[in-house]
Amino acid sequence: MGAYIVRRALIAIPLLAMISFAAFVFQHLSPLDPAEVVLHSQGVPKITDELIAETRAELGMDRPFLIRYLDWLVSCLQLDFGKSYVANQPVWSLLGPALLNTLKLTLVSVAAILALSVALGVACALKAGRWLDKSIRGLSFVLTSAPSYWLAALMVWYFSVKLDLLPTSGMDSARSYVLPVAVIAIGYAGIYFRVIRSSMLGNLNEDYVLYGRACGLPESTLVRRVLKNSLQVAISIFGMAIPTILGSTVVVENLFAWPGLGTLSVRSVLSRDFPVIQAYVLVLAAAFVLFNAVSDIASAAVNPKLRNDL
Amino acid sequence: MRQRSVIGLAALAMVMALLAGCSGGEKNHAEAPSDKGKVRTELTYAAAKDINDMNPHLYTGSMPAQGMVYESLVENTPDGIKPLLAESWDISEDGKTYTFHLRQGVTFHDGEPFDAEAAVKNIEAVQSNAAKHSWIQLSTKIADVEATDEHTVRLTLTEPYYPTLLELAMTRPYVFLSPRDFVDGGTKDGVKGYHGTGPYKLAEHQTDRYAVFEANESYWGGAPKIAKVTAKVLPAGETTFLALQKGEVDFLFTDDRGTDSIDVEAMRRLEDSGDYRIVRSDPMNTKMIVANSGKQGSPAQETAVREALWQSIDRETIGKQIMSGTETPAETLFSTNVNYADIGLKPRDFDLDQAEKKLEDAGWKPSGGDGIRAKDGTPLVLKLYYDANSASQKTEAEFIQSTARQIGMKLELVGEESSSIASRRSSGDYDLLFNQTWGLAYDPQSTIAAFASESSYYHATSGIASAAELYRKIDEVTASANEETRKVLYKDILTIVHDEAIFIPLTNGSVTVVAPSDLQGVSFKQTQFELPFEKMYFE
Amino acid sequence: MRWLRPIGQDKLAALSLFLISTTLFAGLFAPFLAPHAPDEVHMELRFAAPSWEYWLGNDQLGRCVLSRLLYGIRPSVLWVGVALALSAGIGTIVGFVAGYFRGATDAVLMRICDGMLSFPGYVLTLAVIGILGVGLENILIAFALMKWAWFARVIRTSVRQYADSDYVRFAKTLGFGDVRIMARHLVPAALPDMAVAASSTFGSMILQISGFSFLGLGIQAPHAEWGMMLNEARTVMFSKPELMLAPGIAIILVVSAVNYLSDSLQLALDPRLATSRRAPHSRTVAESAKLQGSEVA
Repeated sequence: MGAYIVRRALIAIPLLAMISFAAFVFQHLSPLDPAEVVLHSQGVPKITDELIAETRAELGMDRPFLIRYLDWLVSCLQLDFGKSYVANQPVWSLLGPALLNTLKLTLVSVAAILALSVALGVACALKAGRWLDKSIRGLSFVLTSAPSYWLAALMVWYFSVKLDLLPTSGMDSARSYVLPVAVIAIGYAGIYFRVIRSSMLGNLNEDYVLYGRACGLPESTLVRRVLKNSLQVAISIFGMAIPTILGSTVVVENLFAWPGLGTLSVRSVLSRDFPVIQAYVLVLAAAFVLFNAVSDIASAAVNPKLRNDL
Repeated sequence: MRQRSVIGLAALAMVMALLAGCSGGEKNHAEAPSDKGKVRTELTYAAAKDINDMNPHLYTGSMPAQGMVYESLVENTPDGIKPLLAESWDISEDGKTYTFHLRQGVTFHDGEPFDAEAAVKNIEAVQSNAAKHSWIQLSTKIADVEATDEHTVRLTLTEPYYPTLLELAMTRPYVFLSPRDFVDGGTKDGVKGYHGTGPYKLAEHQTDRYAVFEANESYWGGAPKIAKVTAKVLPAGETTFLALQKGEVDFLFTDDRGTDSIDVEAMRRLEDSGDYRIVRSDPMNTKMIVANSGKQGSPAQETAVREALWQSIDRETIGKQIMSGTETPAETLFSTNVNYADIGLKPRDFDLDQAEKKLEDAGWKPSGGDGIRAKDGTPLVLKLYYDANSASQKTEAEFIQSTARQIGMKLELVGEESSSIASRRSSGDYDLLFNQTWGLAYDPQSTIAAFASESSYYHATSGIASAAELYRKIDEVTASANEETRKVLYKDILTIVHDEAIFIPLTNGSVTVVAPSDLQGVSFKQTQFELPFEKMYFE
Repeated sequence: MRWLRPIGQDKLAALSLFLISTTLFAGLFAPFLAPHAPDEVHMELRFAAPSWEYWLGNDQLGRCVLSRLLYGIRPSVLWVGVALALSAGIGTIVGFVAGYFRGATDAVLMRICDGMLSFPGYVLTLAVIGILGVGLENILIAFALMKWAWFARVIRTSVRQYADSDYVRFAKTLGFGDVRIMARHLVPAALPDMAVAASSTFGSMILQISGFSFLGLGIQAPHAEWGMMLNEARTVMFSKPELMLAPGIAIILVVSAVNYLSDSLQLALDPRLATSRRAPHSRTVAESAKLQGSEVA
């Protein structure tokens, strides 16, 4: 197991290096001179050649590319991502709290997804082919095909306004989590529960179940056995879902005014706040890699067979 | 192993529950408007954006919020300049020295006394960041500021400047922050706190969530009756409408960039419910499209193109349909009730035939199959930037786009955050953009001064033939002490920009407030940038 | 195309196929089918109810909703398809090269893929929009950029399975060229996996692009796009809820059809799924591809 962790971690390091390099090159991909981009975004009235030269010097553009990259990397590791053009504050003071809020939303959503997909998956597997199975699968099919903002609008209208049960937006109390989490969970649980269902069905047809049934073991014992095996799948789903959802709460956050990364990133794009966008890309991609590594290690801990995959 | 995984899952679920719990207990929601009983003392308004950096000497913060916390020396009212932090003032014969007698016994929210020394430090802090403030001409004319005694401040100018008091009355930057909040003796590199002298103090700020302002109990003008004002960040559109309907917020106003976060129809529905009422200020400014005459290679450099666009806009329909009759068409940059603006400029009517003829005469001929005109190989294509948070601006833009298309002019629409549009305006990186004049307190003198200011409309005006003359006259008008000369100069200035069709007026805008129906004392200032919350109270 | 046959036997799958082809057809021939020009403004018909002339009514500028819906197919479905085809094309080439030649080529290509895949989809798209500005074409570029690596992975795994097979080895010993082996043996073998991978990601791409337009980062006015139409309808959602219906239902129908078809394809490929007699961890290439590609908008 230890060897596996080391190997898995070793894979993550070159990935992180690649990501950081890509994020650094990011500001050089714009069709404009980076110095000019900076001046434009800061709304500097008269952009003269001297000013551009000055800014280039300020950005350290006169130094060799690789040196600049390393300098930048070192300051990023210290969470110094520069200053936002718009808010005039260090980027991390905007990004940090937003990351935390998105993380909260993601973890609660993943828990909900897990609960929902296990419950639905098991129910459908046990009643495979019957009306319950069919109707749940049919409904989830339509729901996963609906745009999340469309569902969200309907849910807000019904639960917040008609029934007056939940807040329409914001992050004020535990109740604020319900609607955004529900919208995220519906989308993903609809996909994941089918995996659990088919894994359950697979297990139910395994030889050990047939054997157990032949030996006259009570059905409930068998189901419990099968359920435990299927939970392995659930855990690997759990691991897979965290990083995916972390990066895709954009629409939901904007709909519910969730003060997280999705809201921050869209606003930064619309106000051309490049330092924030750059840091956002870097931080999320790094988080993505780390979560993937952790979830792989966790899956390997549960299922030793996976340890040989690397 | 399997058992462990089950336990692990259970543990994770608990962590989730904790996390959810940690994010704070029930926050006080704004009381639902239907709650009767004891007199309410709280208001929660919907804000499209975070209040941001509240440093009053910079420009990123929310103006309505800054207006609650900070005060200036004097105040601009319908009846002229009135005392605020200065109780009285003397102006020297030559118009170059202003002596302010400060109100005594005023303290900042952190307990520091507001005295001449504090006032001087603030003005010096603003002056030390001259580049940022060049749009205010006063900042370029202050020669010296000194405290002559504990409660007297003397401001010396390099030359006479008649709008001095008007510019000192603005929401920013000549407002006062406790010197204890200064960093390195100044404010340009950030501040440590946001302690002003105003009726409200900033009590709590959660970025992108809300900001709480509490009444300043020791306010020199008496503690305001509304004890708590909360600015809650909400996305524009139906979310804001729903939040109002539910009472999560109970107050809404046209934001400082001139955009309403819900449409007129939605406001009407709220009014019909009986819980809310709508209060509109008198027309306060002019909504317009600014054409950038100074942009190299852009068709907007040509007067004929700008005029044609002007004539291809159906202002009647915009006012009646898109704004549901709440705004009236504007034919000139300043409506005639603005000082110095009643000078009989000739309106350019909505007339597509004439607009087409103008383009034709200027050499823009139809080319290719799509009917877009071109001249010397340059197609008649312009980019129009609008505020992505404003539903009405987008609809207006699309409407204007469709009529301009009929005269062979193609408008490409780009929606951006208002801050990005502001930086485009100052860097000149646009063909056309939506904007508005700055309101009664600023029109015409400050808006006109901004024509020549590099951080505002300099690029827009720099491409016209008579630009040099325009800038000279703008310089002259503010220095002139003679009312008659000023009238003549203003007339010339307004005629030049009108003839050049730089600022294409759309409608006369006003500030709209949606307030609980039992909220009294809803009034307006002379600017769209602030609201006097301290005057409001519940019956 | 033997593996396509079961689809004909499943009525719902046939219906899905019909729905998708009708949509594609309607999008391609929108100028002939649409009763009005999509950007024709009639302010007097602002928010008009459905009529004989305007079957689905008019929007906030009095434009014909039906015509906009039809023209909206182009960015919402057709252009997404183009981006998909592009990324699948690049991914297939890379995947084939990596899977077939192995060794250093494989290692380098796969590390690049890993790098690309470590940017979550939305993040990469936002980054591209951040650099190049808002607009449909930039989102499509972002899609092509981020999906190719994923296709490459799927195809590589699939190719590796077959590259080891006896008949490929046999062909190699006979001295057939690499290109010929790939074209003759590997392409047909990997085709089903590609089809499943592509179709399963198509649905989520349609949802995502409408999501970006909905946020105002996608297509710019006045062009019709389903997400954009929903965004416009949202501002009047309580006075004119009917405007939310047409584009919303259009998206749901098309995405459902695509997803259903993708499932049927997978089923047709892997009949074991039907009987579900499998161990939990031996997922097929296609199925795991499907899971990883599922980013819900």
